[in-house]
Amino acid sequence: MSTTKSKLEKNHPLTKEEDTKNPEKVGVFLCRCGGNISHTVDMAKLKDSIQADFVGEFENLCSLNCRRHIREEIIDKELDRVVIAACSPITHLKTFQNYADLLNPYMVEMVNIREQCSWVHSDSAKATKKAIELTQSGVEKVKKAQALDKIIRQTEKSAAVFGGGISGITAALSLANQGVKTCIIEKNPTIGGNMVKIGKVFSPEKLAEECSLCILNPIINEVINHKNIRILTKTNLLRAGRRSTHFKIILEKQTGFVHEDLCISCGRCVEVCPVDVPDEWNQKMTTRKAIYKPFAQAVPDVYNIDLENCIRCGKCEKVCTVGAIDFNLKSEIIPLEAGNVVIATGHESFDLNKRPEYGYQRFDDVISQMDLARILGVNGPTQGELLKISDGKRPERVVMVQCTGSRDEKDDGKRYCSKVCCMVALKHASIIRERFPETEVVICYTDMRTVGMYENYLRYVQDKDIKLIRGRPGEVTKKDDKLVVRVEDTLERKPLEIETDMVVLSEAIEPSPGTMRIAQKFNVGLSQDLFIKEKHSKIKPVNTDMERVFVCGTAQGPKDITDSVSQANAAAAKVSEQIKSGTEAEPPVAVIKTSQCNLCGKCMDICGFKAVYRDEENMAIDPMACRGCGACAGQCPQEAIEIKGINDLELYAQIRGLLSDKKEGEIRILAFLDNVGYTAADAIGNNRLCYPEAIRIIKIPSINRIMPHHLMYAFLHGADGVLMAEYPDECMLEAHKAKIKELSESVKNQGIPSDRLRFYKAYAPHYRGLAQQFTRFFEDITREI
Amino acid sequence: MIKKDPKGDTDSLLEDVRNDYRAFPEMGIKRCLQCGLCTSNCPAARHSDYDPREMVKMVRDNNPEIMNNPDIWNCFYCYTCGSNCPANNSPCIVNQILRQKILLKGENNARIYEFLAYGYSYLDFGVGSIPSDFFDGLVADFGQKYVELKINLEDIRHDLGLEDYNLKGEALEEVKSILSSSGFTSRLEEFKRCHES
Repeated sequence: MSTTKSKLEKNHPLTKEEDTKNPEKVGVFLCRCGGNISHTVDMAKLKDSIQADFVGEFENLCSLNCRRHIREEIIDKELDRVVIAACSPITHLKTFQNYADLLNPYMVEMVNIREQCSWVHSDSAKATKKAIELTQSGVEKVKKAQALDKIIRQTEKSAAVFGGGISGITAALSLANQGVKTCIIEKNPTIGGNMVKIGKVFSPEKLAEECSLCILNPIINEVINHKNIRILTKTNLLRAGRRSTHFKIILEKQTGFVHEDLCISCGRCVEVCPVDVPDEWNQKMTTRKAIYKPFAQAVPDVYNIDLENCIRCGKCEKVCTVGAIDFNLKSEIIPLEAGNVVIATGHESFDLNKRPEYGYQRFDDVISQMDLARILGVNGPTQGELLKISDGKRPERVVMVQCTGSRDEKDDGKRYCSKVCCMVALKHASIIRERFPETEVVICYTDMRTVGMYENYLRYVQDKDIKLIRGRPGEVTKKDDKLVVRVEDTLERKPLEIETDMVVLSEAIEPSPGTMRIAQKFNVGLSQDLFIKEKHSKIKPVNTDMERVFVCGTAQGPKDITDSVSQANAAAAKVSEQIKSGTEAEPPVAVIKTSQCNLCGKCMDICGFKAVYRDEENMAIDPMACRGCGACAGQCPQEAIEIKGINDLELYAQIRGLLSDKKEGEIRILAFLDNVGYTAADAIGNNRLCYPEAIRIIKIPSINRIMPHHLMYAFLHGADGVLMAEYPDECMLEAHKAKIKELSESVKNQGIPSDRLRFYKAYAPHYRGLAQQFTRFFEDITREI
Repeated sequence: MIKKDPKGDTDSLLEDVRNDYRAFPEMGIKRCLQCGLCTSNCPAARHSDYDPREMVKMVRDNNPEIMNNPDIWNCFYCYTCGSNCPANNSPCIVNQILRQKILLKGENNARIYEFLAYGYSYLDFGVGSIPSDFFDGLVADFGQKYVELKINLEDIRHDLGLEDYNLKGEALEEVKSILSSSGFTSRLEEFKRCHES
């Protein structure tokens, strides 16, 4: 590689030794680890070989009495920086930063001579030599370390909750009770969402159906009267801007031509309004007036004019005794600052016209479960009487069709299970069998999904004599004056034509366009099925991929009220944690030097963690979201981004140190490992697998941190190979691909054989794979040389 | 049979069906929910013992008995099952693949005698057209309109600036020669002979 080397020297800006003058004193603490290290590594030789201002050897460095030794030596020898040559920083760095707490934590460097030396190499001489080089490299690295402070970001003690359904109300109330100023933003004229509409909720515990409004009302009353809660109805999000501690939100409150503070909700206006409009509250089965209140217990308790349908006749204005109606009122722009955002915007129902074979539009008595909920509701179109829309008569039989639009791979269908429909169908079956026992209920299902304790409820409803048919109907037609449901009883292998008076389609839950709009404005990611995506469903539920934006309820995916409420409380807890803890970010983090930045935005595009954002006039990085991976720095044409916590000088010093004292014919391979890769390498040691001494590990936040000049520096200083191992984190895949391409090309351009740079996907449990990779790389290079 | 997999028949009926060139790549036969929606919509199931759901199940179970089931010949390719299937499967295509397999084994040749006229229409007109045997039925279903369309088809096409529906002269000869050299014509003759003997 000598020609390559000379070429490198010509091209590389850093071939000359950097300034090595360093007046700071470094102390090295060697750990025998009760024999775990000293049985293989010749400690005396190690101690003698290290060049530092102090070198000491200890039996068990992590034991509490060593805390005293470390402190004493720091004071005695006036040490500025410390190297701990012992075990893995993953398990023990915090401990030793704590033991050396007289110094800034970033002045403490750990060298892993156990997992990366004594446990993986059996030849004592070779292991000792490597231990010396690892430790000396640590000394050189720590000399270049910069003192850093943890970054504390105090999130503003406020929250904006989008959506006033059960999820939003629950989250808001929990936050308000914890002293957080909370604003509920609801697009409709009333809060309460779908829960107030459905009339009854199922209770698998009590084996009963409970009145939803009766459960919800006390909660709503608490919300109205809470000093920390502000409710904005008829309000939409116009703009959302991100700042370091809060969001700047611009809202638009639509006018209803009514002064909300004056209206006493007497209802005289309704009596004189001449306009009839289909009533959404009753699924358009009844009509309301152009001035209306959605339902008796609506909150806020005021009337609103529906601008679209009002003919501006002014009759309501004339009869209003309190002067609440004012046709000159305009929509209002409301600015809002909120430290956190909770998206609780709920769902919509599948458009049943997309399944014309079921005749939702064609036949009056083909209805949805929500339609049935209204019909069964005592405040609904029939005052709770089960009657057909076509003729107002009681149906003799009701057939329910499950999975309408759910578990359906056709283009306009939903591939997921909507999760609640089995229980909803059973609830309505239960109510019908209880109150109208002369009516028969048939449920055509694909699978009955009554998971967990809900199975108790299924049994309870089965006892009321319902008929379950295992098959998904293909068509609803009409024969004479009866509806006919075509379904195969798949358990009997029998195609059936069920004559009935009423068909109820169990409509899928689908993501609402409003949710998608809000997600777009807050730059929050959506799932494949267009619900709000959680950062990680197992370890970061209710977090979105955007810092300080949380999600709960059906905006996140289909779920019932029970789950929505749990999730809403979880979201509130997470907001509270954010506010109370004043989140700490630890380096490495990226920092933008604003004066050098030309606002090109490439950093923002590459960052999969969504840490980079455009402030009013600058690019900014949220340290809480930043992982310090360095992808942005690699993209920046202005070199305006610095990674705090692992600077270039440290990296160069470490690379140089790990390649020092290389003998003629000796092979050295640098392995740059991210946290997962490093953990896997530790596991190789824990399991006492072996790999060649030639492997020298450098811990990095991500391969994105490594620039071509780092690589060239390594090859120039004698690296025979470079391995980069990283966990393939989904959100950074694009950045990884770009980085792999960039580094591979730079190696190619320098005339270095392409197989001297290798990339490996690291998985913590697959440490054997990493060990094999180490060994294979070494063997391949040995063969070549 | 033309195979995507050049290795030919596997010992798995399911894999044979999935690898057949008629099966589209995303066809959800493995994801079939056995919900029976196909059967509930199937006109053949309404008038016979044919059960497309059960046929799919047997294919998935690699049960060769399905090849001996006389009911699978009752499907007449309306494709309703495939257009509605929530698993994006197409029982109709599965049925076609099964029939082809059976015919290639030299069995059940008589089953397709009534379809032969479709094949001959390519030889006679260069295009596939509805056999004259079905004419009366179609008139009964669609009425006088169908008769008028049938009689005036070429005139209507000319008015619309379209060429003749049926191929003639050189074009027809070309189609015939393709059909002959590809073995299509002799296959038709073979099926016809089978029926006549």
